[in-house]
Amino acid sequence: MRIGTLKETYVADAALFDSRTQKIWLVVAGALLVLFPFVASDYWLYLACLVSINVASATGLNILTGYTGLVSLGQAAFMGLGAYTVATMESTMGTPFALNLLCGGVVAMIGGLVVGIPSLRVKGLYLAIATIAASFITHFLFANLSFTGGTGGLSIQPASWFGLPLDTSFRIYWLIVPVTLLMLLGAANLFRTRIGRAFIAIRDRDISAEVLGIPLLRYKLLSFGLSSFYAGVAGGLWAYFFRVVTPESFPLLMSIFFLAAIIVGGMGTILGGVLGAVFMTMVPELLKFVFDLIPGGAGLTVFLSPVRTIIFGLLIIGFLVFEPHGLAEIWRRVRRYFHLWPFRN
Amino acid sequence: MQKSLTSQRRRSLMLAAAGTALASPLTALAQAGGEDIVIGGSIPMTGVFAFAGIGINAGMQDYVKIINDAGGIKGRKLRYVPEDTGYKVDVSVAAFKKITSQNKVNLYYGDSTGFSKTINPELDRNGNILMAGASFATELNDPKKYPNQFLVGPDYTEMFGILLKHIAKEKPGAKVAFVYSDSEFGRDPIEASEAAAKKLGLNVVVKLMTPPGSVDVSTEVIKLRRAAPDYTIFHGYVLAPIPEFITQGKQQGMKSKWMGTFWTMDSSTVMKMGPDGDGFMGVMPYRYYYDTEKAPMLDKIRQMRPEYQSTAYIQGFLAAMLFTESAKRCLDAGKELTGKNLKTALNSIKDFDTGGLIGVPITIKGNSIPVGRVYRADMKAQKMVAASDWIAL
Repeated sequence: MRIGTLKETYVADAALFDSRTQKIWLVVAGALLVLFPFVASDYWLYLACLVSINVASATGLNILTGYTGLVSLGQAAFMGLGAYTVATMESTMGTPFALNLLCGGVVAMIGGLVVGIPSLRVKGLYLAIATIAASFITHFLFANLSFTGGTGGLSIQPASWFGLPLDTSFRIYWLIVPVTLLMLLGAANLFRTRIGRAFIAIRDRDISAEVLGIPLLRYKLLSFGLSSFYAGVAGGLWAYFFRVVTPESFPLLMSIFFLAAIIVGGMGTILGGVLGAVFMTMVPELLKFVFDLIPGGAGLTVFLSPVRTIIFGLLIIGFLVFEPHGLAEIWRRVRRYFHLWPFRN
Repeated sequence: MQKSLTSQRRRSLMLAAAGTALASPLTALAQAGGEDIVIGGSIPMTGVFAFAGIGINAGMQDYVKIINDAGGIKGRKLRYVPEDTGYKVDVSVAAFKKITSQNKVNLYYGDSTGFSKTINPELDRNGNILMAGASFATELNDPKKYPNQFLVGPDYTEMFGILLKHIAKEKPGAKVAFVYSDSEFGRDPIEASEAAAKKLGLNVVVKLMTPPGSVDVSTEVIKLRRAAPDYTIFHGYVLAPIPEFITQGKQQGMKSKWMGTFWTMDSSTVMKMGPDGDGFMGVMPYRYYYDTEKAPMLDKIRQMRPEYQSTAYIQGFLAAMLFTESAKRCLDAGKELTGKNLKTALNSIKDFDTGGLIGVPITIKGNSIPVGRVYRADMKAQKMVAASDWIAL
């Protein structure tokens, strides 16, 4: 039980993790993440990596849409830029993966800055439509540039760590999950700084933010840049994970997926991006296990598959109706419940 | 106190339940399939490709049932384990991982070119699986790059080859137009087929690439009319925008014959073209469900399913048949069911009778079965009728 947290310094007040319980759980979670690859099968490891990549990208979009209030449907396009940069560098130059991922992030960031320019003039749905263009432009570039392998795309060698190819889900887990954790930590810290606070001020009221002395041009573009950097690195990880990149790998639908993830998870919270990405990736898979319990075997799969998709859709609607602040808010409520447990429940 | 105790008990129960729930999938994964020969499948039963996936699923299921009812392969039963993919590569790979984690899989059916390419390194590493799929991509027809995969028919370039061969025979020196979508699927055979057409003495007068999902094709139709081809081959579409091309082309007085490739050529798809689609031709590697020529396997299918079955069904059915034949040959030779052995067994198939599903005996030398026939739509009879003999490349 916890009845309050005493803070005596500003540093303590701004700390990311303020209670001992939180820190203990963090250590437990860390230990579980380390142990997981040793007990899980290839399937669960694959899903863990996929979730991790989606978490990284959703967190990027959360910086832009959740924290800065700029709706974007270009996230998949930025991921594509990152993925193609990594694929091209890996297959032509064979540079180390860390450099490739960083360059993937930077190239996506430049793309993000360009796409972000209209955000100075338009907001909301109008901006969302403007960012859709990114998807079409990048698709055209990927399909027609000389070094992108045309519509067939590029196949790449696995990332290698001191000569060890990261070619199985088990091995690449140790690349994808730590990078994602690092990115999450970065994003969480961002909102303890002036830059992060400026983003929030812009989201809440951009004119007031300008009056407060926050240059909108710089900060809006910075938000676009950071968000697409996250997408670029996530795209790079995607490229190393699937090892085939084609222009059709990053469709507009994928951008909608990430937008849905942060809405379902809870916009404007780091945890929201994480929970949303986990929910959107894992629930369809977990529903398969639930449906596997129905006797009837393979014969029924064809009838049950559409039902499963409908249930997934209904779950999303259900969460939006009953908890518009997303899964993060549900999580917070559960935590609050346990703060006073067992005395008040 | 009482309350806290109950809560504690409840908590421990919940923890235990959560533990079991988490552990059960993991333990299930440890169970390997027994003596069954497992055919796994990433099948698109929802999403844009569901129209084909449902047919493929039914075809595989039916053939597995036929074999199992007859006692299996050397006493070993076949087990078909499909998972829905929604035609998304990441979900498809997840399905592969799920099925292979829970079963000892020897044979696998993939749903897209993207999946076939993505899973290839995994197949090479695994070494125990032979895979076929819904893709006819030319790139996959390379036994060196894709040693554990094969195509259940001709690749897209070979489909064009069959059509071009037919055209060269019907009208030597004819003018041909290629209309294709700006996608991996659409662009696949174009370059190689232009060269093939030249070799056959045909003249490719225009190549029109349409943006994916385009509906308004009036400007393309004008370009096509100016080129005045004798034959127009569509590729990279299922149906739209082919009917728009044909209707507008005919309205503008075009005399071209219209042709398509496999995914357009299902009877139900072509019939949707309406009266303007009369005479629409295309390449089909299999017989149609309602073909009247002698085909004992088609008789069996018609017995099992009295209503029309799509060409995707026949594709799934034939894939299962070739899987089974490869496994049977492996077991007959006393070899283990590994990807390499299964592929060698597949490649030993020579003059194999498919029970009439393909009109001629087939031989599989590499990764494809380069045989097909040109069919023509008869809108009055609402059927596809043969317009050529079986053409082998």
